[in-house]
Amino acid sequence: MGASDIDELRAGFDVPFSALGAGAPADHGTVVISWPSVPVEIVRAAGFAPMFARGSEAPTPAANAVLEPDLFPNRLRQLVEAALSGRLAHVAAIVIPRSSDPDYKCFLYLRELERRGIVAGLPPVWLFDLLHADGADTQAYNAERARALLARLASLSSRRPGPEDLRKEVAGANRARAAARRLNAMRATAPRIAGADMLPLLGAFWQVEPARYSALAEAAADSIIGRSPLEGPRVLLAGAPVDSTALHAAIEAEGAVVVAELTPFGSGGVGADIDASGDPFIALTEHYRRASIAARMPVKTLMHEVDDALRGVNAVILSLPPDDATFGWDYPRVRDLLERRSIPHTALAGDPALDMTVADLERVRALLRTAPPKREARRG
Amino acid sequence: MAEKQLQSTLAATAFQKQWFGDLRRRVFDERRPYALIQADVPFELFDLLEIPAVSNQWWSSIVAAKRQAPAFLDAMSGDGLPEQLCRYCSLGLATTRYARAGEAPWGGLPAPRLLCARLTCDCIHRVFSLWAEAFNAELFEIDNPGASELPPRWWELTRHRWRELIEPHRLKFVAATLERLIERLESIGERRLDRTALRERLERVNRQEEIFDAARRLIAEAPATPVRMTEQIANVMATQWVRGTDWALAHAQHFYDELRQRVDAGVAACPDEKLRLMWVGAGLWHDTDFYTAFEASHGAVFVWSMYLAFGPDGYIRYGLDEPLDALASRTASFNEFLHHPPWAAEWIVAQAREHRIDAALVLRPKSMKPSATGRLFIERALEEAGVPVLPVEADVVDARAWDPAAARKAVGKFLDERVPR
Repeated sequence: MGASDIDELRAGFDVPFSALGAGAPADHGTVVISWPSVPVEIVRAAGFAPMFARGSEAPTPAANAVLEPDLFPNRLRQLVEAALSGRLAHVAAIVIPRSSDPDYKCFLYLRELERRGIVAGLPPVWLFDLLHADGADTQAYNAERARALLARLASLSSRRPGPEDLRKEVAGANRARAAARRLNAMRATAPRIAGADMLPLLGAFWQVEPARYSALAEAAADSIIGRSPLEGPRVLLAGAPVDSTALHAAIEAEGAVVVAELTPFGSGGVGADIDASGDPFIALTEHYRRASIAARMPVKTLMHEVDDALRGVNAVILSLPPDDATFGWDYPRVRDLLERRSIPHTALAGDPALDMTVADLERVRALLRTAPPKREARRG
Repeated sequence: MAEKQLQSTLAATAFQKQWFGDLRRRVFDERRPYALIQADVPFELFDLLEIPAVSNQWWSSIVAAKRQAPAFLDAMSGDGLPEQLCRYCSLGLATTRYARAGEAPWGGLPAPRLLCARLTCDCIHRVFSLWAEAFNAELFEIDNPGASELPPRWWELTRHRWRELIEPHRLKFVAATLERLIERLESIGERRLDRTALRERLERVNRQEEIFDAARRLIAEAPATPVRMTEQIANVMATQWVRGTDWALAHAQHFYDELRQRVDAGVAACPDEKLRLMWVGAGLWHDTDFYTAFEASHGAVFVWSMYLAFGPDGYIRYGLDEPLDALASRTASFNEFLHHPPWAAEWIVAQAREHRIDAALVLRPKSMKPSATGRLFIERALEEAGVPVLPVEADVVDARAWDPAAARKAVGKFLDERVPR
């Protein structure tokens, strides 16, 4: 029971984006999204399945010809590659949130590539202009954008969803979040699952239908709880949020256990439930504005996230890849916080979706030599 | 450094130094507030409420031009900040956070009462938060809603049809944010904003930019450019930071009159002008001699940069019944027009045609993400329009990786091999 549940969750995280383009009928019901700052509840209320572009080792030659180097993260290169190669021709829409400058630029680029005839047959490409900064006018602006997104998506389907439909989706997603939180709790104090194994189970929240996700995640938690605790330094992965398991795997190959990661695809995405008893558009956008870890998340909010994630952590690894223009600025703050807590750290400069560079590997090894507890053979 | 050919350039430089000295005296001796702001923030509001505003980009350019940037940037790197982070917007922060690392020009920045930034690229919130902390000062942020309607020939809409150019929800949001900014400035300045005065100021800004528009036409249409690009920038930017003031209007007119006289007298910036070059991107502030380095060898003169051209196309707003909406329409997409597709490429190609450009040098900044994005579209569009392009890898304030001789050699080779004379 446990293994098959875990396999299904893992497949729900790993497979979908790379499988796009294989068959038009399956793709028609899909909305491709560049980052989990688009409320999936809205996408589902309109009758579509959300699917996220994520970083991978797959080459992106067509995208590299139109995207400047070191400006766009791997996931956006994968998205543009898929668009240029025709793999997105049959999806219902591409929705790109305003959660980072590269995401916004990706939206502009896709529109421009289409205008110039460099790519043909794209589905509608929409910007979801979720503003993240604190401001008196932000709430109303974001809620209006959410209403507009639902109306646009609904125009592509036969549904006419209202607030009650949205509340129903929120309730389902909340149940799935609760299951994800239970799963994530398996990593506290005595982690029973490696980070590279856990990330797909948490990340599947975004793509697997909520009721199915809840059932699978609960069953997975039941199977994991009986495992022996893993040993080795407990690591928090912070910096630019990762969207794949490559960095986890490389760190854990050195004897550590990644017990938390500041990314919506991991422990950073299993936050509080959404209370949609009032205006569901306001509730959703306020939740995503505050909880979705992304480059435009205000630094104070992010530092609270870092602070909260330090419980039980022996070391912190910051991912600051060449395309990062934001999280590197937090380095002095994070460093000072970690020094106050006597937690060692290191910063990595490579693409977290690719094999770890030699220099980064040396940094990880040097960190783990200093991080308590001393390295021991892993069990479990 | 190349000699200044225009009297107005000397006057502009002297004005800026005097202005900054006066600012320091006001802040230190009279304890008056001032603000430190991004270049795309509406300066008019600050000036009308008698809160002088210093542009972050202007300050960075001064630090770089005085060859002081490397010391501060080394200190920033030594503090663990990754090399790929934007240096243009953060050099000013470095002069504050690492003040002992170097010698900031003209005594350095005094502590502002307020910092204000429009959240264009992602790093701005970070840089200004750190800066506000370093000064223990307040930060006011203008969030930056993204555009979904993308009229390519935006400059044909800015003057009269600006309500069509900016989507209503974006315009409303930015106008509301500016209202809150006004409230803060009124509190700091201890006076109320006179809305009639705001309208009059914007009318004066229009007048100033109309003069620049006429100057641009002179440069575009004259047989040979009467003014070097570097001197265009010195005059235009000294004026833009105090736009709409008496000095700004008088100086813009002085600049135009001097150009007019030079054109009428047949005086060219480079008497042997053979090639007309365009610089796409922010200025290379640490090596402005670069822009005159090809006059003697190739008769190649830089005649265009965004600084003069963007004034008339980016700032003029007619129909000022609701002046704050007009100001918001400028603020809402200010530098997007300069960098993002489709706006930047369309405009730059149109400008290249208008200015009879023979070749373009396009900045490829390694650290400045907003300026770096969109450049492949710009390069492609220029080449398709028949304008050969040389990408120039450089940072506009960070000279540490800049090899002046190699850069000049590369441009010479490009002009020899790719640009027909």
